[in-house]
Amino acid sequence: MPQIEIVTLTKAYMIGKDTIKALDSISLKINKGEFLSIVGHSGSGKTTFLSIIGGILMPTSGKVVFDGTDIYSLNQEKLSEYRSKKVGFIFQFASLLPVLTAKENLLLPSVFSQKNMGNNEKKVSEYLDMVGLGDKLDAYPSQLSGGQQRRVAIARAFINDPEVILADEPTGDLDEETETEIMGLFKKMHEEKGATFLLVTHSSDLARHARRHLRMHNGKLLEI
Amino acid sequence: MPSSFLFYIMKELNLFTLSLKNLKRKGFRTGILIFSIALTVSILVFGLSFILSVNSSIKRASDRLGADLIVVPVGARDYAEEVLLETKVKSFYMDKGIVDRVKKIEGIETVTYQTYLSTIQGACCDIPEAMVIVFNQDTDFIVKPWLKKAISRKLEKGEVIVGHESLLNIGLGLMDIDANIFGIRFKIIGALEKTGTGLDNALFMSDENIEDILKKGTSNLKPMDISVIFTKVRKGYDPYQVGRNIEGEIIEVDVVSRSDIGKDIIHTLKDIKQIFSMAIVLALLLSAFLSWAIFSAIANERSREVGIMRAIGAKESHIITLFFTEVFIIGTIGSLAGIGVGIYLFIFLSKGFSIIKNISTNITLTGEIAIALVAFIVGTIICILGAISPIYRLKKIEPLIAIKEG
Repeated sequence: MPQIEIVTLTKAYMIGKDTIKALDSISLKINKGEFLSIVGHSGSGKTTFLSIIGGILMPTSGKVVFDGTDIYSLNQEKLSEYRSKKVGFIFQFASLLPVLTAKENLLLPSVFSQKNMGNNEKKVSEYLDMVGLGDKLDAYPSQLSGGQQRRVAIARAFINDPEVILADEPTGDLDEETETEIMGLFKKMHEEKGATFLLVTHSSDLARHARRHLRMHNGKLLEI
Repeated sequence: MPSSFLFYIMKELNLFTLSLKNLKRKGFRTGILIFSIALTVSILVFGLSFILSVNSSIKRASDRLGADLIVVPVGARDYAEEVLLETKVKSFYMDKGIVDRVKKIEGIETVTYQTYLSTIQGACCDIPEAMVIVFNQDTDFIVKPWLKKAISRKLEKGEVIVGHESLLNIGLGLMDIDANIFGIRFKIIGALEKTGTGLDNALFMSDENIEDILKKGTSNLKPMDISVIFTKVRKGYDPYQVGRNIEGEIIEVDVVSRSDIGKDIIHTLKDIKQIFSMAIVLALLLSAFLSWAIFSAIANERSREVGIMRAIGAKESHIITLFFTEVFIIGTIGSLAGIGVGIYLFIFLSKGFSIIKNISTNITLTGEIAIALVAFIVGTIICILGAISPIYRLKKIEPLIAIKEG
């Protein structure tokens, strides 16, 4: 049984009187531990697709079945638990809370999942070490560079040991060197943690790091 | 250990500490909202304290009086109220023979009388200006209850007892002090318990001293002069009707019934109450609007953060708790500050209102706590009411939409 099964997923937006289909009857099966990349032009529906899998955007129709359960049949409480415990999100923009230090940003998911914060303190240090920011525990986002902020966000995505990592243009506005570093980090995390990886990017170079390649075009998903 | 628990709460990252950090982020804006709530609550506390204290002071005065009707010389009705409710020093007289005429009116049960004298420091007396109430101990039912508590015996000739707020009491700590009053040496033997009326500022002596005072000629008092007659009405008789009968039979007097004491002040107070009520309602509306405006701005600014928090596992209840904690902190600080300012204003500024300048404006501890509690609840609720709509709008947005809106 696939870990994630997407069944005729459609997402339509109303723009004025017109209906725009961002996703058009997409079906896909993803097995546990897979590393997938999805490429496509801006506006092709990649972020919408990833957001629906991540449980942060309701589809117009279709299903996202995770371990046998359609996540959109869950109530808000359970859907939040799914986001908290099963999924790690990496956004294409700076996503750290500005009032929290790097350490606190990493602890934030535990506040919502109510996991033991005491144990997580150690884990936070380990994860920040892993992304090369062990000495920036108490730094606020404003004191970190764009690349460093992105790495803290990556560490945060892993802190609750999610089963799926959804990375939306994770190296979007970063220089080449940081981009390589982050991709190296993804590979390492994938190998060490064994999580399923969905990497959305418009860069074919970056997509090559994945083992399975998909292309999104006008709301349709094609296997490459 | 509560302190270490508090330290733990404050040190650890949780929704409360996150709320505090968010509030600190825009300190000035938070300060404005706190100031607005504090202002509203202080007006509320001041207004409530003012109205309640005057109301209760008047009620206390009429309750404590123990008389159903007060008979005064024609035209002296206002003077009598000023003596009973306020600390004003007044003297007005009528003939003592009126006492017997009042006794004969149908429905009158008991009658006693008092004579009011005023001291003038330097001229007649060596005490500050004060009201001296001379009463008949045989018929008295006005001073007796307090006297009994204070000294458990009758006042002897040459003895005075002072009211709770009397300058002599406050200034000297009193007890067994001799004072020259109307050229006679009097011994101050104690202080009466607080009545919360204008009588708290007076000196009391028995009418056995009148003859000596008249002999000395140091007051404007004439033989057979009295100021007020207090009466109790028999059961089954309407005090108003009896009062009307007295006025009909004895044209030299006016009659004030117990329930009419302070009527003019209460009437004026009604106007003040309306002004306060309007000011309070306007301040509440303004605070609610400010709370709405500020939390609408906060909701717009932090929409992306909320989306991110939702994406990393925050439930709707977490978002609600986070924002309402912020609202509650603002409401609490604002309300507490407002209560402090309101009490300060009441204590130090209420005497600036000429209507109550001389009225005892003390509120019981229970009354003060009740006012503070009401003000605290109103201040916090008004802040919450203003913030409800922006917070619920934010809670309802889908995480991705919230992120994009931010």
